[in-house]
Amino acid sequence: MTDTAREEILGRINRALGRRGGGEYVSSVSESVPAASPARATGTDAAPKDPGAPAAGGGTVNQSADYLRTGAHEGEELIELLVDRLEDYKANVHRVSGDPAATIAGLLDSGSNIVVPPGLDHSWLASFNGEISVDAPGQELSIPELDAQAAVVTASAVAIAQTGTIVLDGSPECGRRAITLVPDHHVCVVRVADIVDIVPEGIARLTPDAALTFISGPSATSDIELKRVEGVHGPRTLDVVIVDT
Amino acid sequence: MTFLGMPLLRSTRHDDQEIPGGQGNIVEDESFAKVSHQHLSNQQLRNNIGHATATIRDKRSEVVAELDDWEALREAGSRAKNQVMENLPEYLAQFEENFTAAGGVIHWARDADEANAIVTELVEANAPVLESGRREVIKVKSMATQEIGLNEHLETQDIDAFETDLAELIVQLGNDKPSHILVPAIHRNRDEIRDIFMEKMPDAGELTNEPAVLAEAARRHLRHKFLTTKVAVSGANFGIADTGTLGVVESEGNGRMCLTLPETLITVMGIEKLLPSFDDLEVFLQLLPRSSTGERMNPYTSFWTGTTPGDGPQNVHLVLLDNGRTRALADEHGRSALNCIRCSACMNVCPVYERTGGHAYGSTYPGPIGAILSPLMTGVEAEENGSLPYASSLCGACYDVCPVKINIPEILVHLRGEDVEANHSPVSSQLDAALTGASWMMSDGKRMAAAESGLPIAHAATGGNPINSLPGIAGAWTSSRDIPALPEKSFRQLWAEDEARAAGEDEER
Repeated sequence: MTDTAREEILGRINRALGRRGGGEYVSSVSESVPAASPARATGTDAAPKDPGAPAAGGGTVNQSADYLRTGAHEGEELIELLVDRLEDYKANVHRVSGDPAATIAGLLDSGSNIVVPPGLDHSWLASFNGEISVDAPGQELSIPELDAQAAVVTASAVAIAQTGTIVLDGSPECGRRAITLVPDHHVCVVRVADIVDIVPEGIARLTPDAALTFISGPSATSDIELKRVEGVHGPRTLDVVIVDT
Repeated sequence: MTFLGMPLLRSTRHDDQEIPGGQGNIVEDESFAKVSHQHLSNQQLRNNIGHATATIRDKRSEVVAELDDWEALREAGSRAKNQVMENLPEYLAQFEENFTAAGGVIHWARDADEANAIVTELVEANAPVLESGRREVIKVKSMATQEIGLNEHLETQDIDAFETDLAELIVQLGNDKPSHILVPAIHRNRDEIRDIFMEKMPDAGELTNEPAVLAEAARRHLRHKFLTTKVAVSGANFGIADTGTLGVVESEGNGRMCLTLPETLITVMGIEKLLPSFDDLEVFLQLLPRSSTGERMNPYTSFWTGTTPGDGPQNVHLVLLDNGRTRALADEHGRSALNCIRCSACMNVCPVYERTGGHAYGSTYPGPIGAILSPLMTGVEAEENGSLPYASSLCGACYDVCPVKINIPEILVHLRGEDVEANHSPVSSQLDAALTGASWMMSDGKRMAAAESGLPIAHAATGGNPINSLPGIAGAWTSSRDIPALPEKSFRQLWAEDEARAAGEDEER
């Protein structure tokens, strides 16, 4: 049934676009993309970098668009921007030079149980005296076990200063998605080297293979009379530890 | 320039008879003029909507002003979406290949019924029958599933679908309909929400009307469901063709819960939601949050590509939905409405929406975008959808804020033309007679002049007073307003006299 649906929908699209061939959709990308489609021709600098590249074959349509690809902030200014934006969205921000172990321990309840991803730098937990569960492949915590954890400590892949966004990419030091979702308290370490200024710089550092989570402050809702309430289903407390090593 | 109200463009639809319109919750069953009258008298609704639109409008302006390259981003967003529409078969094939290679399963649905049947089958195969004899799924806010009436359909198949977005939960528990894309329960105040929760959440205990208390009640109410339900249903904000990635943008974490914890994930997405490349997210993740909630970035955004071993649902499905999208695509003048990324900025600036609220549009898609999208997807002949393009003063504010530059006013005018052609000819009513007459008269300068030559007589007949009542169809117009007193002379006559006088003065020199 769905095979028929597929062919029929693709056929409708071809008819809608005024292409010949009825139900036959054109599978070769380069053949069917008009030499100067309006999408490319409308911009001021509309010529794509590589005119021979197929439109749907990789690379963005906007290679030539003139929005900003890099930001102007750097050094201390960049870090301060990130701190400002994180705090604006109600994350707690802590800055550390060197070893973050004492700061991290201070954010966790002494004697509590926490979960960490398998690749987390062990030295970061050296000052913590509670119970640590490592969520490793083959030894994943069950959902009820995760629900019983007081907190989760992870690293991060990228932090985007302009929007106060931290990206987790499922790497061994960020962990699988469930561990940063079920516990009510997330302590997230951001290395200064991983801070970028604007969104395009952040996207450029990511690979889409992994499951990605973009986090900008703790979970929030404005659904009741537009009054912002922090903390609904995701972790209600987000502590960000910015480490300058 | 748009010439108000006058259809300029003839239909250039390709083979439109062959492309069926969509079905489900995209049909206005009474004319917009009638329905909006009912909603206009609801003062509470008007106050709430007015407050919401004004607040979000201001927040949006602030965060948009922070970006120096906003216009360039809009242009880039528009280009990317145009590119998708023009090459949709190729992008769909590419997306399908990548999503499937990553372990996902794709299903194609021609219309709402087919999509509902596919989801039902998947739920029946993957969700256990509970003691109650029914199955359960958790849902993250999705306009596509609202459009196809999925919850209602599942209900008839002994499947309970639990909405997990706070506003959707309020709407669902209140047996209500969403009134705004972004804040669906904005027509409810905190007291009403408290009452709904107290009645429908038996374990909630005594609640106050504090938003924080109500949010906490929702958290407790849903937490067990999140941690135990086997199947989730979601929509998607983006599908990335060159990687096969899907994305959901949200705030509360209910999306992450649905996308991460269940064993089976079923996503329903319109075929137009694709972006060419993962890199295009650098544009859309700036455009969408700022246009939508007026935030620099929404709290949570999730991306997944098929299945990820050991992480999240291992049984991942996607239903690609047509339901009238191809019909909209066939309209060259309306096609760009499919570029919509559902931000709701156009609603918040619309003077008509601000006064009527979303319910008046009779569709999942309200406001200016709904006024074009619904009739484009169904055809203007469907029920009263031909009345939707008139739900606008054509002020153009919607176009100015649209992050993907959909020229809504132009499409509204185009669809008014379609409506006149499809629904109002041959002459069948007083209004049609009047419009046809006006068109006949205005299309010829001599006829116009002849009509105007009657003005001095009409002026004398009305004694130079305002006209407060006209007979027949025109009575509807004068029931709430007066027509200004008729002038003695028409503009054209004054212009001609002025020209003649100026010419005379020239000669005197």
